[in-house]
Amino acid sequence: MAMNDAAQANVIDFAPEKIRKDLLLPVFHTSRRYYALVIALVALGLPGMAVYLYQITEGMGVAGITRPVFWGFYITNFVFWIGISHAGTLISAILRLVNATWRRPVTRCAEAITVFALAIGAQYPIIHLGRAWLFFWLIPYPSERGIWPNFRSPLVWDFFAISTYLTGSLTFLLLPIIPDWAMVRDRATGLRQRIYTVLALGWRGTPREWHRLEVAMRIMAVIILPVAVSVHTIVSWDFAMAPVPMWHSTVFGPYFVAGAIFSGIAALIIVMALVRKALHLEEYLKPVHFDNLGKLLLVMSLLWIYFIFAERLTVWYGNQPAEMAAFWSIQRGRFAVLFWTMISCNFLIPFPILAIKKLRTIAGTVIASSTIVVGMWLERFLIVVPPLEHKYLPYDWGSYSPTWVEITITFGTFMGMILLYVLFAKFVPIISIWELKGPQHSQPIAEAAANATVNPAIRLDNTLPSTNG
Amino acid sequence: MERRTFLNFTILSGAALALEGCGNPGTQLVRFIPEEDLVPGVAVLKPSVCAMCSAGCGIQVRVMEGEAEVVRNGQFGIVKMGLAKKLAGNPEHPVSRGKLCARGEAGLQVAYNPDRIQHPLKRSGQRGSGKFTQVSWDEAIEELLTHLRPLASAHESKSIAFLTRPQRGQRAVLIERFLSGFDGAAWVRFEFFDDGVLRKANQLSFGYEQLPTVDLGHSGYVTSFGADFLGTWNSPVAQSAGYGKMRQNRSGVRGKFVQVESRVSQTGANADEWVAAHPGTEGLLALGIAHVILKEKLAHAETAGAAGALIEGWREGLPASSPEAIAWKTGVPPETITRLAREMAARSPAVAIVGGAPLAQTNGLFTALAVNALNALLGSVGKPGGLEFTPEAPLPAAKAGRDNSGEGKSGSVRALAQQILSGQPRPVEALLLHEANPVFATPLGWRVKEALEKVPFIASFGSFLDETSRLADLILPDHSFLESWVDDVPESGTTQSVVSVAPPAMRPLYDTRSLPDVLLDLGHRLGGHISEVLPWKSYEEMLQATLAPLAHHDGSIKTKDGGEFWNKIQEQGGWWSAEATAAPKAKAAASHFNAMKYQEAEFAGSAGEYPFYFLPYASQLFYDGRHANLPWMQEIPEVLSTGMWGTWVEINPRAAATLQIEQGDLVEVASPHGKVRAPVLLSPGIAPDLIAIPVGQGHEEYGRYASGRGANPIKVLAPQVEPTTGALAWAGTRVSITKVGKGELILLSGGPTQWSQEKIAR
Amino acid sequence: MAHRWGMAIDLDRCTGCEACVAACHAENNIATVNADQAAKGRTMHWIHVERYWEGEFPNIRARFQPVLCQQCDAAPCEPVCPTYASYHNPEGLNAQVYNRCIGTRYCANACPYSVRYFNWFNPAWDKPLQLQLNPDVSVREVGVMEKCTFCNQRILAAEIKAKAENRELQDGEVKPACVQSCPPTAMVFGDLNDANSQVSRMAGSVRATILLEEVGTLPKVIYLERESSHGNE
Repeated sequence: MAMNDAAQANVIDFAPEKIRKDLLLPVFHTSRRYYALVIALVALGLPGMAVYLYQITEGMGVAGITRPVFWGFYITNFVFWIGISHAGTLISAILRLVNATWRRPVTRCAEAITVFALAIGAQYPIIHLGRAWLFFWLIPYPSERGIWPNFRSPLVWDFFAISTYLTGSLTFLLLPIIPDWAMVRDRATGLRQRIYTVLALGWRGTPREWHRLEVAMRIMAVIILPVAVSVHTIVSWDFAMAPVPMWHSTVFGPYFVAGAIFSGIAALIIVMALVRKALHLEEYLKPVHFDNLGKLLLVMSLLWIYFIFAERLTVWYGNQPAEMAAFWSIQRGRFAVLFWTMISCNFLIPFPILAIKKLRTIAGTVIASSTIVVGMWLERFLIVVPPLEHKYLPYDWGSYSPTWVEITITFGTFMGMILLYVLFAKFVPIISIWELKGPQHSQPIAEAAANATVNPAIRLDNTLPSTNG
Repeated sequence: MERRTFLNFTILSGAALALEGCGNPGTQLVRFIPEEDLVPGVAVLKPSVCAMCSAGCGIQVRVMEGEAEVVRNGQFGIVKMGLAKKLAGNPEHPVSRGKLCARGEAGLQVAYNPDRIQHPLKRSGQRGSGKFTQVSWDEAIEELLTHLRPLASAHESKSIAFLTRPQRGQRAVLIERFLSGFDGAAWVRFEFFDDGVLRKANQLSFGYEQLPTVDLGHSGYVTSFGADFLGTWNSPVAQSAGYGKMRQNRSGVRGKFVQVESRVSQTGANADEWVAAHPGTEGLLALGIAHVILKEKLAHAETAGAAGALIEGWREGLPASSPEAIAWKTGVPPETITRLAREMAARSPAVAIVGGAPLAQTNGLFTALAVNALNALLGSVGKPGGLEFTPEAPLPAAKAGRDNSGEGKSGSVRALAQQILSGQPRPVEALLLHEANPVFATPLGWRVKEALEKVPFIASFGSFLDETSRLADLILPDHSFLESWVDDVPESGTTQSVVSVAPPAMRPLYDTRSLPDVLLDLGHRLGGHISEVLPWKSYEEMLQATLAPLAHHDGSIKTKDGGEFWNKIQEQGGWWSAEATAAPKAKAAASHFNAMKYQEAEFAGSAGEYPFYFLPYASQLFYDGRHANLPWMQEIPEVLSTGMWGTWVEINPRAAATLQIEQGDLVEVASPHGKVRAPVLLSPGIAPDLIAIPVGQGHEEYGRYASGRGANPIKVLAPQVEPTTGALAWAGTRVSITKVGKGELILLSGGPTQWSQEKIAR
Repeated sequence: MAHRWGMAIDLDRCTGCEACVAACHAENNIATVNADQAAKGRTMHWIHVERYWEGEFPNIRARFQPVLCQQCDAAPCEPVCPTYASYHNPEGLNAQVYNRCIGTRYCANACPYSVRYFNWFNPAWDKPLQLQLNPDVSVREVGVMEKCTFCNQRILAAEIKAKAENRELQDGEVKPACVQSCPPTAMVFGDLNDANSQVSRMAGSVRATILLEEVGTLPKVIYLERESSHGNE
């Protein structure tokens, strides 16, 4: 089965010129609809910016957070986006390392999600600050007062984890773009040529360059994996390190990482489907890709339901009064609707779709992914809010509901995410061209083949083997 | 205004002012020369007397230098002055002993209240429209004199009335003397939660027409019949201090505390045993307890003396009041009554306290007499751990200086209204008003507002516009108590004889004048009899002169030199006798009073149509509504309901369930005499046949923090009175409750009501 | 020996009168918000009296418990603060450096007692209520967390005074505003390092408990449990 799928996935034996033409089309051609889309996204996203300024000038009080629920939508969004960011790098790094060849049209798509989701997600801790203008106090910089951040604080760990992950995944994304930009450079004229000349960083496509790119990508893939795991573990520790009932849990690290990969794959499937439609890449992003990712999603869905079961069961059995208050408010109380929606979105709906081969079509996986993205956002919300509403002393319980401010800002950042992606897809071939067709455009294969080191990309590209690896 | 926009506004206007000031010398802010020598950053503690309720706690004001915008000689400017920063109890003062309650702490917000009247005002719109224009003090005094002069002449057929809150000390002497210059002048002292019934009962039972001082600290067993003595009743700070000692001060002895009431009050929440008796049957319960004590010969009937003789059947052992006989009426099981009686007799000294709702019934006087008799039977009167009466101050005019007329003062507002409306016996031509707010705090049936509107001239001396002072034609605003000479003669709360007096803690902020000084000034200008009885130029002079004799009495100040004594008494915040004052014994009771027998309390409204008893209770924070204009009091959660910034209707969850009413539903509480609307609060601490609403909110006019907020339960009350004293029977109304809306917001500070774990603190 | 400030609250004496709450507002320049904000739960009572009902009518009683910052020795609020705004001062108090606070609100989430209060807006006082503000206590700006300080300004003033007079601080010399006002003297403040101080003696009472002991915060506020004398005892 696997062999057949992989074989199918790799049957992209179009002429290099067709690949080039298909995939470079958006870079050279800008439709009116594209402009309209960009303007619409900017228009939809701007209110979020304006409202954020309003929040800064007026005070955090315009948002719905209150005592004792000091964290609300913003931290939910933060965790959600950081989770989504696990789409790319992690997946593409794993697939790269195991040489799953079907990954090739998918990787860049996924890695871009990572970078943008991180960029968006990293905004939220700042959006959420009471005195956002002092956010740089989170950064360890030598100040004249000799004050450093508190390295015991998980928020400072967050800073390091996210900045490391962002740097890493940006590198991971940009390195393999260089040959494609060089390709654009070679074809472009005028201003575009000058821009892509800079972006291509003088790429000439020598075997040495190819070799180094390959090595760099291998090293990056190895490095990025633990970083990705650590990021979401540390995000989970923002919660697990505080003695809040239902937060203070050892399972949170793996639980969050699993959830992150889960939501990340779901986001990737949706993005792929949209890109496929919008850029007419039906011949590149094939049902088999969706099928494979769908299987991965199925595994993650099962893993996720296992985690939530393990977490809930131990809490329920432990029967600690402080925890039970939050527990029951989720299971039966005011959050029950959200909880069961989450279970439906993350498991009950996607599981049959993904498990039954007939339903695991492009449409099927997209439906499943959409519910999963919603469900995972709800999961983050249910992790953040209900426990805060029910801390130890019942007299101090409270309730949270968001205001239009939080909703507008949240909506704005979603628009921002889409906008970033749309712009990216315009300036960068969304599918790695050279990985599909090899570096034949600039260097004789013979020279590459003569190179002592085997270049898997070249080899695979030229021989189109029927096994994945 | 939103506080945020307010801030912006102040910043903007401040900037505008600064800019404007640069170019135009005419609008530059005047900076006055400081009137006092102050060291910046160093606090001075000055004594004063709390004016937030009638307890008369001595306080200490922490004064520090600050910059204030003030009015001096009619001009607005900035001055560096001593400003009151914090109030605390005066550690030396026999009533407060260094402690202060929540309401007392908020005294600062009276002085600094943004809604204070800052200068004399003359009505410019229609009466009650709230439209006033600023006038000078000279104009205001002249205007007032033109109305007073004709009335001050002898044999005038028309008269004046002075409407105040209860007053004591030399202020009371001053007002009385001032009014003595007007023929047939009425001085009406009004307070909603009036203790006239208890004063009357104490006079009958013990010969003291005053509120008792309860020596809780030495008591072994305290039974309170409805008295919120840890919250709002009598002298709460002194009583709380005694309560603390009663609980945990004596090694091996912890006094037991039983509360009898039908809604758990702040006080009742602290009881070891909480006994739910039907409203109006508390006196019967006291008799039941006495019955057991007598029957089991735990005490002799004669022990109760005159107090016992006032109860019919006392000598015979109260045959009609056996626990079995009264169990059904009171709702208290006979075993409980018997047990309580035995415990009381065994755990001497035992004391019974009565106050609040049980006395605000048509049978309130009887209830008070019954509890008094029980006290006497327990031998607690005049003994440590029992009831005592604060001795009078050794001053010639002290009698007048203590407000213990006991004639049901709220009743006399009713009488005043009747007098005004009927013009009999003589029409009221002018009304002087100081702080009392009967328009807010009387039942509609007394027609107080209608009456006041008919008075040709009303002058108010209060610092705030409220429902009553809004009707004034002329307003001559008083200083806040922190800016005035203050004096007081506490009625209770101590076994020492006390005269509190203190100079102003800070200089006035505004163009205001203290009431005593204005009255003295008026007296001089009116001349004749008034100027003879009020020869002093200022209130300070009057206080110095009248309090001078205290130097010759044994007390807290050991000097006989007049000048030194005067300095010392100001430093200490008063004079008090040595602690060893013998507790006064019960005096012979008035003999003309016939023995009383229990009669059922009458409730306005039929039980069929109005199935619930109605309890408007004194708010822990607003008392009778006078503190509703203080933001601290609005925002501190009432401790039992945890409610803030509003009114709620308390109902038992079971009763609510049968009516299909849920927490937060908007309901209408209606009696035959009025109705109010407020959201429902399900309270487990209230009898299923009772509806309770805290008094204090529902002001139509009382500054920015109180106006238009919540509902006023007094408007539901029937004009029911206790017949002997004429005091309002404010707990004698029945009501119905109807759901009229959903999802009304009640502001609750606290989370859910029940705590499932056995212990919070472990 | 350094001081280790602590407080004992005798729940058998506490009457729920809330004098402490008002006194705290007055001493510490605590802003009142307004009805709208209070409805959102944004009041700032550094000390508040919690009320828990027990039983059902007529066998009902309410339990009062004043809750303020417990000044934990192992305070969960401290390690989570990324900027050291929440730190442990040399006398064992959980200090909050308002100027260093950037408003992550993490400390408030971590606090098991929910006794940290956030300035959702800039505090404002309608003129001339600002004249009441205590010059010894800073007014906190928008975006800053605040909490009970055990009236640190009073502790410092007393320490400076004692030092100037070249003597040791006496037991009972320092009284936070809540302790000073408390009419039934339910609250006692003092040095837990001084075995003879009243607070130390109360801490040794058989009734002494701490709030949420199971969370392991090692608080320096000690509650003395309410006794009960029911029935015939």
